[in-house]
Amino acid sequence: MKSNQTGNPTRRHFMKAGMATSAALLSSSALAQETTLEPSRGPGKTVMEMGYYGERSEYVKDARMKGNRGTGLIGGSLTPLQHGHGIVTPSGLHFEVHHSGVPDIDPSEHKLLIHGLVGEEKVFTMEDLMRFPTVNRFHFLECAGNGMGEWMSPRGQTVQQTHGLTSCSQWTGVPLKVILNELGVRGDAKWVLAEGDDGARMTRSIPMWKAMDDAILAFAQNGEFLRPEQGFPLRLLVPGFEGNMNVKWLHRLEVGDKPWWTHHEVTEYADPRPDDKIRAFSFIMEGRSVITSPSAGMTLNGPGFYEISGLAWSGAGTIKKVEVSMDNGNTWHDANLEAPVLPKCHTRFTLPWTWDGKETTLMSRSTDDTGYVQPTYEGMYKLQGPIGLMHNNAIQNWHIAQTGEITNVRS
Amino acid sequence: MSAHKTLKLIGFVSIAISLSFGALFASAQEKFGFGKPAHPDEIARYNSDIHTDGSGLPDGSGDVALGAEIYEYQCALCHGEELEGVPEMGANSLHEGRRDIKKLPYASSLFDFIRRAMPLTDPGTLSNDETYGLVAFLLNETGVIKDDNLTLDAKSLAAIKMPNRQNFIIDPASRFTAEDLQ
Ligand code: HEC
Repeated sequence: MKSNQTGNPTRRHFMKAGMATSAALLSSSALAQETTLEPSRGPGKTVMEMGYYGERSEYVKDARMKGNRGTGLIGGSLTPLQHGHGIVTPSGLHFEVHHSGVPDIDPSEHKLLIHGLVGEEKVFTMEDLMRFPTVNRFHFLECAGNGMGEWMSPRGQTVQQTHGLTSCSQWTGVPLKVILNELGVRGDAKWVLAEGDDGARMTRSIPMWKAMDDAILAFAQNGEFLRPEQGFPLRLLVPGFEGNMNVKWLHRLEVGDKPWWTHHEVTEYADPRPDDKIRAFSFIMEGRSVITSPSAGMTLNGPGFYEISGLAWSGAGTIKKVEVSMDNGNTWHDANLEAPVLPKCHTRFTLPWTWDGKETTLMSRSTDDTGYVQPTYEGMYKLQGPIGLMHNNAIQNWHIAQTGEITNVRS
Repeated sequence: MSAHKTLKLIGFVSIAISLSFGALFASAQEKFGFGKPAHPDEIARYNSDIHTDGSGLPDGSGDVALGAEIYEYQCALCHGEELEGVPEMGANSLHEGRRDIKKLPYASSLFDFIRRAMPLTDPGTLSNDETYGLVAFLLNETGVIKDDNLTLDAKSLAAIKMPNRQNFIIDPASRFTAEDLQ
């Protein structure tokens, strides 16, 4: 079929004509003279030439940015938030972090074992699990290390580097409480250990109140099965809790009476306080926002109208308010919150703005329905000291130079 | 946390329901019945995690000398001769900073992590004796227990009190209460 078409003289003719038409369109006088019914290009690819799994235009290049350590088994990638729209992250652009690479597991062989302080200890195949009643929920997922390079000084050159470890999807799965209730939870059960089936057999302790609240055994993301890097065929979703706890490739849940204090929960994911104590269980990703456009790495094309657009989210609840300052924090304006505004979910905010061409700094500040207000870096230092690493949710400043060039600053 | 109260309430309600409706309610209406009962062998095969009180620790034992030997051949490449960490291999220092072994609240999680996740490129290959030996070696090397002849087994490892344990605290900033720590 392909060779047929390239050899088709009619098609070549149209292509030439198309080129001529677009050249004519460039000159406004030619446009004024005559209207042409000739299309600007010939027929496109046939449906048979298109893939069975749709691909994006060759002109769209948005991509994750990868990074890894040593052997490459511990690594991840960042979402290009600066090119995002709305609240959903395309699955192929969702951030990822792995501690022992990415397995691709045959779902027909995957099983989930649930044991410990339950009435019945059981093993479920994927087929078994998918027979239970399901929920579909939009939730963000954010790595506790999102922005960890920014603690001491502004380093990221784009919002992808400063904030790209958050993404948002519609997740489909079985509420964990449905299955725990099915098995029967003993009265002394307070915690659940979740274990992944990757090389590192990642384990994290989940409080029982979370398991019985909104935790989901998720098998689908944005209308299709999970991607391998998101835990295919099964992951735990603990909405609003740090990414690492949303254990991927989930194959075992053990119900117990105490937390396990697994290695990751007591080392890099536990927050030091300025007094040298360590804050155990800093699981909740607190309220945060960032302007994604205009943002660092972009250049404004002269004074005039710009729509300020960004994302706000809170692991503790629903975003109530986002304020934006276009004058380095002197005055603040309520941004529009675009529907839907959902709990533990990215919320898109916008604000119309006319740039006068003068040097300034843009920033945003979120408030959630628990009353939590996004802190400044000074606030963060009080909580963790400047040696903080994880759970950075400080206000982000974007400096705009007279040239329109935008950079990451700490005012 | 308010979720606790809700949870307790649900607990009371369901106790009340099961008392009044008995087994009928549970079996005929509540259960979906999907999945298969887990065989004890299947549970034993996967249930490798170690609890903070030491339960789950396997039989066997290992001393500092055994640990030092294994460390030299299987770990030093990434973690360094002096535990300093080899950045090109992606490993952090084991005696300072965030991954400092002295700072761990429990020795159980050190045993658990090494046995499940190390060596990074070949996890799950260490024997129980070797893992006990490595824990003994690392605790001696970092000065938690200064004893070149330290030998560890299930009982002695469970009895270790890590010096930093009391510095792990519940802080209202994380929206957790002491009840969660248990
Ligand atoms: C190929 C490199 C490599 C080898 C070999 C290796 N490790 Fe590791 N080890 C790592 C990396 C990388 C991490 C960090 C893991 C993470 O963050 O998920 C780590 C983590 C650890 C930790 C936890 C502290 C931390 O940094 O998180 C301990 C303890 C540890 N390794 C012990 C060992 C022991 C004992 C051996 C030998 C049996 C060993 N490792 C072999 C690379 C290696």
